[in-house]
Amino acid sequence: MAKRVKTIALVLLVAILGVSLFAGGQSDKAPAKKVINVWSFTDEVPNMIERYKELHPAFDYEVKTTIIATTDGAYQPALDQALIGGGADAPDIYTAEAAFVLKYTQGDAKQYAATYKDLGIDVDRLVKEADIAQYTIDIGTNERGLVGLGYQATGGAFIYRRSIAKDVWGTDDPQVIKTKVGPGLDKFFEAAEALRRKGYAIVSGDGDLWHAVENSSDKGWVVDGKLYLDPKREAFIDQSKLMMDNGYHNDTEDWTDAWFADMKGANPKQAFGFFGPAWLINYVMAGNSGGDKIGEGTYGDWAVCEPPIGFFWGGTWVLANRDTKVKDAVAELIEWITLDSSNTGLQYYWANGTLFGAGGTKDSVASGTVMSKSDGSLDFLGGQDMFEAFVPAGAFATGKNLTQYDETINSTWRGQVREYTAGNKTRAQAIADFKRQVFESLDIPSN
Amino acid sequence: MRKKSVSYAKYGYIFSIPFVVTFLVFSLYPIIYTLVIGFTDLRGLGVKEFHILRTAEGNLDLFGNFRTVLKNQTFTTSLKNTIILWTANFIPQIGMALILTAWFTNRNFKVKGQGAYKVLIYMPNIITAATIAILFNSLFGYPKGPVNDFLIKLNIIDSPSNFTLQRWTARGVVAFIQFWMWYGNTMIVLIAGVLGINPHLFEAAEIDGATPTQIFFRVTLPLLRTILLYVLVTSMIGGLQMFDIPKLFLNGGPDQATVTSSMFIHGQAFSGSYLYNRASAASIIVFGIIIVLSIFLFQVLKDKDEVARRKYLKAQRKAARQGAK
Repeated sequence: MAKRVKTIALVLLVAILGVSLFAGGQSDKAPAKKVINVWSFTDEVPNMIERYKELHPAFDYEVKTTIIATTDGAYQPALDQALIGGGADAPDIYTAEAAFVLKYTQGDAKQYAATYKDLGIDVDRLVKEADIAQYTIDIGTNERGLVGLGYQATGGAFIYRRSIAKDVWGTDDPQVIKTKVGPGLDKFFEAAEALRRKGYAIVSGDGDLWHAVENSSDKGWVVDGKLYLDPKREAFIDQSKLMMDNGYHNDTEDWTDAWFADMKGANPKQAFGFFGPAWLINYVMAGNSGGDKIGEGTYGDWAVCEPPIGFFWGGTWVLANRDTKVKDAVAELIEWITLDSSNTGLQYYWANGTLFGAGGTKDSVASGTVMSKSDGSLDFLGGQDMFEAFVPAGAFATGKNLTQYDETINSTWRGQVREYTAGNKTRAQAIADFKRQVFESLDIPSN
Repeated sequence: MRKKSVSYAKYGYIFSIPFVVTFLVFSLYPIIYTLVIGFTDLRGLGVKEFHILRTAEGNLDLFGNFRTVLKNQTFTTSLKNTIILWTANFIPQIGMALILTAWFTNRNFKVKGQGAYKVLIYMPNIITAATIAILFNSLFGYPKGPVNDFLIKLNIIDSPSNFTLQRWTARGVVAFIQFWMWYGNTMIVLIAGVLGINPHLFEAAEIDGATPTQIFFRVTLPLLRTILLYVLVTSMIGGLQMFDIPKLFLNGGPDQATVTSSMFIHGQAFSGSYLYNRASAASIIVFGIIIVLSIFLFQVLKDKDEVARRKYLKAQRKAARQGAK
């Protein structure tokens, strides 16, 4: 009896081991199911695809989603390995963020991306029809053609507090305020001085200005294989010091508690505004404003106007794998997400906040056509139609100053700028250290 | 007729197959691969071909990557940081663990609720390192953060201090997190070591009139030597591979003050330029350092009496053999 129990236990154990060892292999041999692998760094695109399936019951593909956050640079290495590895589990659709999209469209990983034309999408006609912002096309195009497009427009505007504007300039009209804070950074610093005299900071931290400076400069970090410090980016170190010395900001760092606190006016010195695209309003500021109705916290006390310098910040590009086995389905999804400007295209739902039913979050979208027929008025902005500011903002933005090294080089640069503004280093030393660190970590020499 | 004998040995081999296979595929092969590409020109995403490194003139340049890495200031800084961070965490860690071990194993004062204390002390080790690093990052926030608020309330400072820009504060925090996470673990290992010592030895010492302090230093510590060596070596290896906490706390900042050698290696391979060959060369250098330091520790903490006794016995046997001839 005891022996039999032992034998059974042994057999079970071996069976369990065997199953767990070979489980991976077996599922591959299962009858070919129509599977689309989607890789992304947020659940945004996967949710869109799920929604597409709900809206189009005839689209009977199983969607397998892999979501890896971009924090700590975890997404890229994983995606790289999945693309290199290929096979049945390779991504069919994958997304890339502005900080590293260049690598997948024009850089080291461009060979994995399929052109939209090869997928069978009528790109030329649809791009014109939808009036897609040029910078998103520039970023998504390499010598083979267009390989990636976004659904958001991330051209930036200046988002400011109405009550502070009234206190300092006697009006909160965006048409007037845009002439106070711009055009150009000289006017911007004049406004900063006016705000300082009334006890306000113009922005929360130097990072706010950086996003505008970074994406309005003429050239990217790397030109002809060498590190290039664009004059506008180099000027940022002095602008940052100027803001620090004069108390034009609250010396916060973006994405820290103190930065969020400025969105609800919780710091002793109130911050006047933020540089940002529509997503900053909807996904970051609204949630941190300390309320969700006009009159609560700073909710409703905001407005958007043209920024002193044009820029864009962030955005998601959608790419397809060259070796995908489900080309037609992938093309169908990508066209719906990035190029469909009809009232049943994703972008129409996205702009009006109706993708998951009425009352959702509104966002500016890549298609000018869609925005012009959508309603962008937000309670958060005191009823202002945000598309007024964001449609022209898309035209200011340029997509020609990105490189695949931006994430690493930006954080090195901002670290050194902070060392200088805090008085730990001289200006020359900070720039020299910046160049050395970039060379040592990325093997990109400077002149 | 052939005699049938029952041997269970084969089951041992069968059951160890999964481990051996996993080890060969996921450990040994990558180690050898790393060793090889340290001498090659392998860099760039998705590149599969590589060649042994040569100079521009075509001469073999076997150690080119190693030279580049050793000349790299970021690498030397990272090594220095790693050693500072490990030392600053290990000294208080082993000290604290020894004190707690002495208390918990002392036969004269039975500590009440020992189990609960041990669990509480071990607790930080259960939380994911990533969570703790991010928690400390917000604790030390500037210009608003709990630590700043607290120090201002106590009138220790009058305006918020930007801790994340102070090199030694940043290092101190990383070392503290390491210490706080690991002293409980070290304590458990040491207590296990003390419990493994023959209780008669303690009794004998007590009967001979030794004070608890004497017992601890003259009986417990010498008999703990092998366990201490184990703790020291494993902690050193872990410390030289320190990655998650400094990476997530300030991503190596401020100004590379908390960049560790593992972060350097990771950065070379994955932060944009895919310098796999240099990352491998740096790994091999760190591997070499770990080996040298481990051997050094083994030498220092070797039981000298035991070695002397073995030597003596060997000499005696030799003498006996010669006598017999």
